[in-house]
Amino acid sequence: MSPSRRWSLKYSVAAASFAILLAACGGSTASKAPSAAASTAPSTAASTAPASVAPSVAAYDGIAYPKIAVDCKNRPPNYTGEFAQIKAIDKLTVEFDLCAPDVAFLSKIAFSTNGIQDADYLAAHAKDKSIVRAPNGTGPYKFKEWISGDHITMVANPDYWGDAKAISPTLIFKWADTAEKRLQDLQAGPETASGIDNVAPADFAAVSSNPALQLINRDAFTILYLGFNVDDAPWNNEAVRQAIGIGIDRKRINDTFNPAGSSVADYFTPCSVPGGCEGNPWPAFDKAASIAALKAANFDFTKTYDLYYRPKVRGYFPNPPGVAQDIQAQFADLGIKLTIHVEDNATYLSNSSAGKYSLFLLGWGGDYPDMTDFVDYHFGTGANKAFGTKFKDLTDALTAGATQIDPAKRIEIYKQVNDLIAKHVPMIPLNHAASAAAYQANVTGAQAGPLGNDAFWPVKPGDQPQIVFEQNSETSGLYCGDESDGDSLRNCEQMFDPLYTYKIGGTDVIPNLATSCDPNPEGTVWTCHLRDGVKFHDGATLDANDVVMTYAVQWDANSPLHVGNSGAFDYFPGLFGGFLPKP
Amino acid sequence: MSRYIIRRLLLTIPVLAGILILVFFLSHILPGSQCRALIGERATDAMCADFDHLHGLDLPVYQQFVNYVAGLAQGDLGASVKTSQPVTTLLIERLPVTIELSFYALLFAVPLGVLLGIVSASRRNSSMDVVTMAGANLGVSVPIFVLGLMLAFVFSYLLKGTVLWLPPSGRLTPGLTITPLVVSWGLEDLKGPLRNIIDFFSNIYTFNALITAQWVIFVDAFRHLILPAIALGTIPLAIIARITRSSLLDVLGLDYIRTARAKGLSDKAVVRHHALPNSMLPVVTIFGLQVGALLGGAVLTETIFNLSGVGRAVSESIASRDYAVVQGFVVVIAIGYMFVNLAVDISYAFLDPRIRLQ
Repeated sequence: MSPSRRWSLKYSVAAASFAILLAACGGSTASKAPSAAASTAPSTAASTAPASVAPSVAAYDGIAYPKIAVDCKNRPPNYTGEFAQIKAIDKLTVEFDLCAPDVAFLSKIAFSTNGIQDADYLAAHAKDKSIVRAPNGTGPYKFKEWISGDHITMVANPDYWGDAKAISPTLIFKWADTAEKRLQDLQAGPETASGIDNVAPADFAAVSSNPALQLINRDAFTILYLGFNVDDAPWNNEAVRQAIGIGIDRKRINDTFNPAGSSVADYFTPCSVPGGCEGNPWPAFDKAASIAALKAANFDFTKTYDLYYRPKVRGYFPNPPGVAQDIQAQFADLGIKLTIHVEDNATYLSNSSAGKYSLFLLGWGGDYPDMTDFVDYHFGTGANKAFGTKFKDLTDALTAGATQIDPAKRIEIYKQVNDLIAKHVPMIPLNHAASAAAYQANVTGAQAGPLGNDAFWPVKPGDQPQIVFEQNSETSGLYCGDESDGDSLRNCEQMFDPLYTYKIGGTDVIPNLATSCDPNPEGTVWTCHLRDGVKFHDGATLDANDVVMTYAVQWDANSPLHVGNSGAFDYFPGLFGGFLPKP
Repeated sequence: MSRYIIRRLLLTIPVLAGILILVFFLSHILPGSQCRALIGERATDAMCADFDHLHGLDLPVYQQFVNYVAGLAQGDLGASVKTSQPVTTLLIERLPVTIELSFYALLFAVPLGVLLGIVSASRRNSSMDVVTMAGANLGVSVPIFVLGLMLAFVFSYLLKGTVLWLPPSGRLTPGLTITPLVVSWGLEDLKGPLRNIIDFFSNIYTFNALITAQWVIFVDAFRHLILPAIALGTIPLAIIARITRSSLLDVLGLDYIRTARAKGLSDKAVVRHHALPNSMLPVVTIFGLQVGALLGGAVLTETIFNLSGVGRAVSESIASRDYAVVQGFVVVIAIGYMFVNLAVDISYAFLDPRIRLQ
């Protein structure tokens, strides 16, 4: 991560906090709408509007969702979310009222699941799930066809509101689930594939040395770790975990199994995230000290222990069996016998989240550039049982960090968080694995950002009339409010615009459909100003109600439109704390 | 004959019921939740509890089975949890791909296999016989995924830029679109079973392109099938060649063949008119078994060549615990297999008059 990029990342979060402080000194940059401004849904959507919409008293029929804002001081039972109300102030102004400040708000609304939908289209197509295979966004590409199992075709949107219109008139997504197959298709020529995702690490050199191809590195935004269930012996002894923590040669694993651009993880969170690399780095590898510490902790070297992993290749885990075997060998060097257990993917995820594995290999690919996406998810109060009982000092620090709007104070908190993780050792961070995409050599404008949100509208496919990009798997659905796999989200990102977005190829957050989103001094109200004249692909015009309903349909578990694809809407609670529960 | 057919059809009912029960309960006792298979690392306990309740997975398994059978009785095979598509729709999309691939694989394997078997039997112990049988052994021995990858490497990579280049994956060149039959025939508003049948045949691209004279599409679709058909058909070809040779040799050793030769008939006439028809019964049996096996979906071939057929769909659905898809596809494959076997058994009567008289 270059110093300039790290600075600019920290600046984007600092800027949000600075805006709050500036508003406190120079007057409010945003104001709460008066409570009497609750309003009805537009008449076109009245027949299928959610029951909680209130009558209009403003010139614009703006929606306030829910009609009566959540009382943050007396929350409904089971409500853990951060939203109190989302409302359309006027045609081009939306206000998000939060129960507590959220420093990562702009990063979260930029996430792919929050691409803005047309409220009328939602009303017409969400309930019967037809929206899943017939998307309607505002993006530079619009949907043309989806041949199930084969490909998805998009065409350039000639009415795109932005300056950066799509260069290639046609964009086709195909898929192949092995890296070798994807590379074979790329090598077969531009008619078969313009570009592919996730080149196998072993093929990096082959692609780089092929004059007909180009390798585009994707900076690491992942973490691979060796996890402990801290409730299970012998790993319930913190001294034992600390000993193992310095007994694993993480550099050896990184150098042996990861592609160029990967790094040893001295912290759980990549350094590209503000606060990620604050505090003391992970202690250095010292085998002799590790063995001595294990003996001092009365570790039982006579027993054989179990190590679990799943063979599924992931961005953070390009060679699962290799790493597992190396871990086993390194434990053997410490005098500890391990038996490796390989589990099927679905079984593994169920069991690991239930805390059934005492020692296991797992990882994480980041979604948005904030500490809450990494450490809160894994070690916070809402984390699953994979690591066993949570550490109160750590969860308290994480809660403080998530709500601290002062960037300098936030950094201090995350220093403490990183030090506590190194002290308690719920896991050993191994590597931040990089990855890469590959394209035909004559393709220009291609990028591979760390967040995986690759933009295809600036891509010129050489002398071909279309871009053909081969991803890892078939898209599950194109209503991305209810999708979580990277391939589906990548497809959505070409057709939908969120209020803010990440800079192409990077992690900086910039305005998109909103010209700005401004917080009040406390950071509990965010007022977003929309661009005027933006059209959806079906010709409808963007207004504030579309934004309200985009979020409301995901947020309100009781809404008849809260149907989605699988109905899980699994990103929403992770981003914004929880659903509005059913009464 | 008609009583025999009716009896066989009635026997399919308990067989299907057994398959249905077995597949349903086997897929539900697989470890790992559907929720976590779908959502992955981000799934939480609360999320999965809601998910299970939404999809009826928190009901007792027997209750889920009853609900499934009730739906099945109304023609509802359920829907994919991953894509929300009805299983019926997925079948209409995926089964034609497998049928088309199987057709061309057998079109490659059967005539060539029979021919090689005849040549080998006619020239027993000659160099031609040895080479043919060695080739058959090789065909059976080489794993499909090795053969498929080698074919793709040679024809898609090494021969790139030549007239012999063949596409390594997919059904059509990206950018080409086949016009559905309902559009060609002006039936876009048609709904119901007839629409499903038309869509089914529409998804057999070479058939669709042939009858609607979309010649560019036909040639392109056919070119995309060459490599997977060869890869998939090599094992049936080898088996059919060996069985044909073996069966023909048995028949050529019979007295009536000696009589035919003694009458002055040429070897060619003896083989073609007298020996071959009587040696076809085992070949037809093998053919039927191969059709059934191919209809089950050639997972490896479909994966290597990126074809969205039945085998790949079932394989992906098992991994993602998409129970409805697994159940629906297995039931349909089982029905197909049983009907193919029935057709094979009925064909015996036409091939061998002795069976007909019995």
